[in-house]
Amino acid sequence: MQCVKLTTYFGERDRVDGRLLADELLAIYERRGVRLSTLFRGAEGFGRLHHLHTERLLTLSEDLPVIATALDSPERIEALLTDVLAIKRRGLMTLERALLLGAAADEQRSERRDTFANALAFAGGAGHGRKLTIQVGRRERVGNRPAFVAVCELLHERGLAGASVLLGVDGLREGRRTRARFIARNADVPMSIVAVGAAEPIAALVPELARILREPLITLERVRICKRDGELLEQPHALAAADEQGRAAWQKLTVYSSHDATHDGRSLHLEIVRRMRAGDAAGVTCVNGMWGFHGAHAPHGDRLLQLRRHVPVLTIAIDSPEKAARSFVLIDELTREHGLVTSEVVPAMQALSANELSAR
Amino acid sequence: MSVWTWLGVALLGGVGANARFLIDGLISARAGAALPFGTLVVNASGSLVLGLLTGVALSGDALVLAGTATLGSYTTFSTWMLETHRLGEDARARAALLNIAVGLAVGVAAAALGRTIGAHA
Repeated sequence: MQCVKLTTYFGERDRVDGRLLADELLAIYERRGVRLSTLFRGAEGFGRLHHLHTERLLTLSEDLPVIATALDSPERIEALLTDVLAIKRRGLMTLERALLLGAAADEQRSERRDTFANALAFAGGAGHGRKLTIQVGRRERVGNRPAFVAVCELLHERGLAGASVLLGVDGLREGRRTRARFIARNADVPMSIVAVGAAEPIAALVPELARILREPLITLERVRICKRDGELLEQPHALAAADEQGRAAWQKLTVYSSHDATHDGRSLHLEIVRRMRAGDAAGVTCVNGMWGFHGAHAPHGDRLLQLRRHVPVLTIAIDSPEKAARSFVLIDELTREHGLVTSEVVPAMQALSANELSAR
Repeated sequence: MSVWTWLGVALLGGVGANARFLIDGLISARAGAALPFGTLVVNASGSLVLGLLTGVALSGDALVLAGTATLGSYTTFSTWMLETHRLGEDARARAALLNIAVGLAVGVAAAALGRTIGAHA
């Protein structure tokens, strides 16, 4: 099913009329019965005003960056937008296209048969990069193993360059709310497994994933793979500041790296945040994974009694084409040895700082 | 200790924790995350004041309320340790050792300075 993904980036402590913005958004998504939604808590980042949010300092970690996604049909997201835009909130919001290969009962039979064809035909067929996102529950199992472990192993066996497992803290699945609680099993709280690769191997994986998962919910998005392990494969999309109709265009750069990757002895993802914060970037958000793999290494997570963390990190920067081009020069230099860098075209975006919001 | 002292400890403990939250937050937001300066300032200023209080020979309930309750919750050993560990996780072993050494040196010096000032006041 062709879908639209609405993503909002804001602060964990942002409030609207006394209620937390995260709660407010998820409540809207729940009321509207959104098919797929996940709320992620970031580890570090900054927004339009370049205020640093980081889990490295205890006092600052009470207001971390958060990302809320909502995925549904274009008509339903459009209806939802009326509610979301009515909220007086700050932060950044994007709309992107995605293909959802779901398992809702009514479409199961026809869609499962067509998943491979759909996945391959999605937006231009072979020869492009794809971002594959697999949604599983925190305690979901495949055979006798956790689902995220089984999925990562399959992706690793099929030779994908890497995968990152991101833990959600709240969300919806087929319209049903799945929120993490402090003392609970949290069995259905969403986890997203994100992997990037060439179109054909990813498309070939979709039916295999659909077979092993109880209720597969798989998303495909178009990306351009710019760099892998230090090698420049392709420059990011060269976009004009506005398209032919005069609509503003936006660009998303994502760096997939390891938490323990370094550049000149400094942590790679923290160095990207530090340098971009010193410049004029619109904002950057880092999200830590809790499991994953990169290259030939078997999938892994953190171990007991270790100093460095062995988990994947996603560093996301969304900006105007002009600033994204400048950011890429910086990212290119920092990812001389490590990291996978992708570029995506973001058809619509709205960014507001607290000051701009109060001026409206 | 009387019931009033217990209540005082609970109340002033909260005041100390809030003061730390505000001061650490203000400093951290400005100083960035290169080194945990907020925690350093909080621990150093707390050590200075505690030194001062013992220097003026404050004792009994007054010392419990001002020292143990207020300054005890204002300063933080655990945050100092946690943030040092985080520096290690982020490939910054030298900064981690520096954070320990500077925190220790500045803290002891602040306490000694406080005591000296207090004793001569």
